Amino acid sequence: MKTLVLGLGNPILSDDSVGFRVVQQLKARFDKPDLTLVESSASGLSLLDLVNGYDKVIIIDAIKTQGGEAGKIYRLGAENLGAIRHSASPHDINLATALELGKKLGAALPQQIIIFAIEVVEVTTFSEKCTPEVEKAIPLAASMVAEELGA
Amino acid sequence: MKRIVIDPFTRLEGHGRIDIFLDDAGDVANAYLRVPELRGFEKFCEGRPVEELPRITPRICGVCPSAHHMASTKAVDAIFHVDPPPVAKKIRELYYCAHMCHSHIAHFYALAAPDFVLGPTSDPAQRNILGLIAKVGVDIGLEVIKNRANAQHIQEVIGGKATHSVCGLPGGVSKAVTEEERSDFEDKAKTMVEFGKFSLKLFNDVVLSNKEYVDLILGDIYYMTSYYMGMVDANNKVNFYDGDIRVVDPEGKELVKFKVADYLDIIAEHTEPWTYLKFPFLKKIGWKGLVDGMDSGVYRVAPLARLNVADGMATPLAQAEYEKMYSTLGGKPAHHTLANHWARLIELQYAAERLLELCQDEEITDPNVRTLPTATPTEGVGVVEAPRGTLFHHYQTDANGMVEKVNLIVATGNNNAAMCISIKKAAQGLIKAGKVVTEGILNMIEMAYRAYDPCIACATHSLPGQMPLEIVIYDKEGKELDRLSQYIT
Repeated sequence: MKTLVLGLGNPILSDDSVGFRVVQQLKARFDKPDLTLVESSASGLSLLDLVNGYDKVIIIDAIKTQGGEAGKIYRLGAENLGAIRHSASPHDINLATALELGKKLGAALPQQIIIFAIEVVEVTTFSEKCTPEVEKAIPLAASMVAEELGA
Repeated sequence: MKRIVIDPFTRLEGHGRIDIFLDDAGDVANAYLRVPELRGFEKFCEGRPVEELPRITPRICGVCPSAHHMASTKAVDAIFHVDPPPVAKKIRELYYCAHMCHSHIAHFYALAAPDFVLGPTSDPAQRNILGLIAKVGVDIGLEVIKNRANAQHIQEVIGGKATHSVCGLPGGVSKAVTEEERSDFEDKAKTMVEFGKFSLKLFNDVVLSNKEYVDLILGDIYYMTSYYMGMVDANNKVNFYDGDIRVVDPEGKELVKFKVADYLDIIAEHTEPWTYLKFPFLKKIGWKGLVDGMDSGVYRVAPLARLNVADGMATPLAQAEYEKMYSTLGGKPAHHTLANHWARLIELQYAAERLLELCQDEEITDPNVRTLPTATPTEGVGVVEAPRGTLFHHYQTDANGMVEKVNLIVATGNNNAAMCISIKKAAQGLIKAGKVVTEGILNMIEMAYRAYDPCIACATHSLPGQMPLEIVIYDKEGKELDRLSQYIT
C-alpha cells in the first residue's frame, strides 16, 4: 500500500508551520519503501497533483475553529470537508472540490484520506516558531500519525 | 457620517470584508474593501543575508511564489550591481512564462469561466469548476489539468520543486538547461500554444456569442476610467519579466515611462485609518480620494491594464487576439473591468508563444548561467509583472549584504483604490433609496472583486476553505443596517 504523509503549511508564518514541523519529526523516525513524507505549501488543484497515485494519504495541517482550544488535535476524514465549493483564496479551489474534480476526471485518487488538524492561534504574523500550546501539540500529533501508520 | 477607525489588531479571519455606507437618501455614498494584511514581514527580513530573500519572499503567498521569487532575484542583482549573462535571463523568462501560463489557466478555468459558462446569477453551488465540467465536458477538464501540470513541470525542472521553486541567484540562475530538458519543454510549449487558441475560442463561443454576457462586460456596473500601468519591452510590447514601466492616462496617452529604480519618483502611497492596506497613486496627478477619471491619481494594473499601456503583443497569435478585443470593446484604452478575463487569455496565448520561442532559442542550453558579483551591495529594486499586476521589491543592505530595509508594493496593492471604486459602482447599481436587492448582490459584487483577482495571501490552503465574503451596510450615521455574508460561520 503506497502511503503519503503530507504536511501542509507555511514555514515562516508562525503556527501555520505546524504541518511541516510534524512531518519533520516523522522523517526522523520513518524510512520505509512504500511511505513518502512530504512538506508542501500547495493548495487546491496542486494538491490533486500531489496525492495522485497513492492508496492512502494522511494530511497534517493547521485549523482554526470557532472557540477552539489551542493545541487540540482533530482526526478528520474527507467526508468532514463538507459540500463547500469555494476557496478562502480567490485564485484556487478547496480540497473537497479538488478531490471531487479528480474523481470526475478519472484520476487515481487515494482510497483513504485522513486529516490530522491541529488547532492554532497565530497565522498572520511572520515567525519561524509556533506559539507555546501549538509547539506542545507537535510531538503528540506525530505520535498519532505514527500510530495511524501502524508503528 | 460616522468615522470608522479599525483597530489594527482586529482579526479579519482571512476573508474579504466590504463596508458600504449609505447617505441621507439611502443610496450608496461609499464602499470600502478591507483585506487582512500579514504582519511583520519587513521585520522578519531584517538582518538576513539579502541573497536569502529570493527564497523567503515566495512564502508570502502560496499562489504567486514565482512572481515574488523573480522580482526578488532581480532586486538582488541590482543590490550587487551585477548583470546576469543573456542565457540566465532567458532561462528566468522561460521559467516565468511557464508560471504565467500555470496561473492564468488556473484562474480562468477554476474561477472566471464558471461565472460566464454557468451565468452570474446561477446557484453558487454550481458556479465552480465542477459545474463547468458538467456543462462543457470532462475532456476539457482533462486538458486544463494537463496543460496546467505541464507548466508546473517546467517550473519544477528549472526550480527544483513545483510550488515555491527557486532558481534565481545573484547574477544568474542555479542550473543550465540540458538538451533533453529543452526538447521536453518545447513539446509542452507547443501543446500550450494550442491550448491558448482553444481557450480563446471557448471564450468566443461561450461569452462573446452570448448577448447577455457581452452586455454585462460592456455595461455600467463594471465600467470605470483610470490610469493604467504595466511593464513593456523596448518596443512597448507587453513583457512579464523585464523592461521599463509605462503609465497611460484614461485616454490612452503616455503619461510617463520610467526605469524601475525610479519608482518612488512616480508612485506614492496614501494611507487611510480604516484599512491596513495602503493606496498607491501617481504623484504627478495626486491623491483625490476614491474617485476615477483623468484628475485622480488612481491607476490600475493586471491583464487589461497591461494591454492598455502596450502598443501590442510581441507574438503573432496574441497580437491578432489583442486587435480583435479592442475592436470589440470600441478602442483603446478599454475601461471595462470584466474585460480583464479576456485580456488574461490573450496573455496566456502570448506567454505560451513566448515560452515556445525561448525553448527554440539557440542560446538556451548555454552552460554559462552566472556572472559572480564582485561589487559591494547597497540598494536595489526588482520589478516583474505578476499575474495580478506590477510587483515591486525594493531592498537596502549594509556593506556585507545584510538586509536593513525592505519595501514591497504587491501587485494587488496597486489595484486597491480601483477595487474600492469598482465595488462602489456595483453596489450603487444594486442598492437604491435604502432598498437592498439581496438576491444576486453577493454574486455581482463578487464578480467585480474576482475580475481583479485580489490576493488574500493568508489561509490559502486552509481546510475546508470557502470564499468567505461579508458585506456590511451602514446608514448615514454609521449605524449597521444589514449584514450579508456567505461562507462565514
